[in-house]
Amino acid sequence: MDFSQFLNLLISALLLAGVYAAMAVGMTVIYGVMKIVNLAHAGFLMLGAYFAFELYERFHIDPLFGAVLALPVFFLFGMGVHWLLVRWLPKSDTPTLASLLLMFGFWLVLQNFAYMVWHNDDRSITTPRTLSAVNIGQITVPEVNLIVFAAAVVCLIVLQIVFNRSWFGRSMRALIQNPYAAQIVGVDDGRTSRLTFGLGTAFAGFAGALLGMIYTFSPDFGRQFLLRSFVIIVLGGLDSVSGVALGAVVLAVVETFGPQIQFHGKYILPDSLQPAISFALLVVVLLIMPKGLASMFTRKRRLT
Amino acid sequence: MSQAPAEKLLEAQNLDVSYGVTQVLWGISFSVARGKVTCIIGSNGAGKTTTLNTIAGVLPTKTGRVILNGEDVTALPARERVNRHISLVPEGRQLWPNMSVEENLMMGCFLPNFRHKAHGSLTRIYDLFPRLKERRRQMAGTLSGGEQQMCAIGRGLMSEPQLLMLDEPSLGLAPKLVDEIFEFIANIAHQGVTILLVGQNVNYTLQVSHYGYVMEVGRITLEGPSDMLFNNEHVRRAYLGTGEEVSAG
Repeated sequence: MDFSQFLNLLISALLLAGVYAAMAVGMTVIYGVMKIVNLAHAGFLMLGAYFAFELYERFHIDPLFGAVLALPVFFLFGMGVHWLLVRWLPKSDTPTLASLLLMFGFWLVLQNFAYMVWHNDDRSITTPRTLSAVNIGQITVPEVNLIVFAAAVVCLIVLQIVFNRSWFGRSMRALIQNPYAAQIVGVDDGRTSRLTFGLGTAFAGFAGALLGMIYTFSPDFGRQFLLRSFVIIVLGGLDSVSGVALGAVVLAVVETFGPQIQFHGKYILPDSLQPAISFALLVVVLLIMPKGLASMFTRKRRLT
Repeated sequence: MSQAPAEKLLEAQNLDVSYGVTQVLWGISFSVARGKVTCIIGSNGAGKTTTLNTIAGVLPTKTGRVILNGEDVTALPARERVNRHISLVPEGRQLWPNMSVEENLMMGCFLPNFRHKAHGSLTRIYDLFPRLKERRRQMAGTLSGGEQQMCAIGRGLMSEPQLLMLDEPSLGLAPKLVDEIFEFIANIAHQGVTILLVGQNVNYTLQVSHYGYVMEVGRITLEGPSDMLFNNEHVRRAYLGTGEEVSAG
């Protein structure tokens, strides 16, 4: 691999990391606040892709704008799902079987709804700029990937600001770090949970639309990204958007460079094994640093 | 020291509280006089923390009533009680380890009614605890035990409570800090904040309070003005080690 090839791969890995972070962050906040492993996240991602697809096909709305529109639409959708289903789950400090089953079931419902509406065909969003690329020196980057990356990063920065500066953001972090303490200062965990579920769903729809601009999708779209979201969450921890971003970069780099590893002139990882990379990374991380990458950088003292 | 009804800021009547099937409080009744320091003493597991959590609205009551300022608040959730100016400084500090000291304090003014005074309160708390001002950008999880306790008390004072409940404020602190904390409690009491204090450090707790209740296995067994409790034979034997050397916490 020569240098320009390396550079190209690195850039595409970083661009991929942007949308990975956007897709994982929604799952992270929901898990953090409610301790629910949101398996329906895959369904929300899939719906996000179809949302942008339909807007483009029917109304010629640019998919980038479609992705931004997905934020408020999926926010309301998520709040509705919370009101209808999630709020009835018993409260717990650890993920419960009931919550897993509920979200898994809801994912199946979403999937089958999509089969009914869009059938089992591969779709893609093809705009005039889908195939164009930007050349900078030796580096060639597909224009779509650049746009997707920029949109993802902007939204993550906005989220980070909300997380750190707003009362809603503080209430989310308070519930993540110490729910009891949040309760005694008056945080309404029902309301914060509902808003958080809306927020997580909004980011899933948004990320799904962005992913739909890059990949083809079917009603089963989202499955492969669900696992990646798990890996990113485990890597990045639950405390910050930057942790999620870090996890996303690590996963994207490993996924991009993994298949390039050569041993005695042979590629040791066939392409078909690429999905196994995220699995393997998950196992390795759980073994070596179960508290996530962030634990390596911060010196934390336990509260007594 | 009789407590006329008008002077009662808080009244607990016949509280029965259970964790699942295990009943931990059996018909607890007590009252807290406005502007005074009232204490509950007792050994580990007597139900003191449960009592405070019940008053704060974190635990539901099976029977009995909690009256605040003449209003029945038994059915109200924790946040509505905070809104009525009750504040709890819980056992073990219960800070948010990965939030800065300043954010931890700010959360004391979380309710919409209190937000407008967050900045004023912050200045006041920093005047009380200059150490917290020095460390305001630091994560609360990196503070020492004493600083964490100051931060927890600061958070409790942010909303300018009528009733401040302190649960074991001296637990796990070095003797010098224990002195400081109790001196501080005496100070805020002097400023007119009503305090309900719970502690295993019976010696200090009785010295700083006006009226006290003794709790044993979920029941109140004795009550009276603190100086009388301090000289009570049973209290001296059970909690003060026959009046000789008294250990902290």
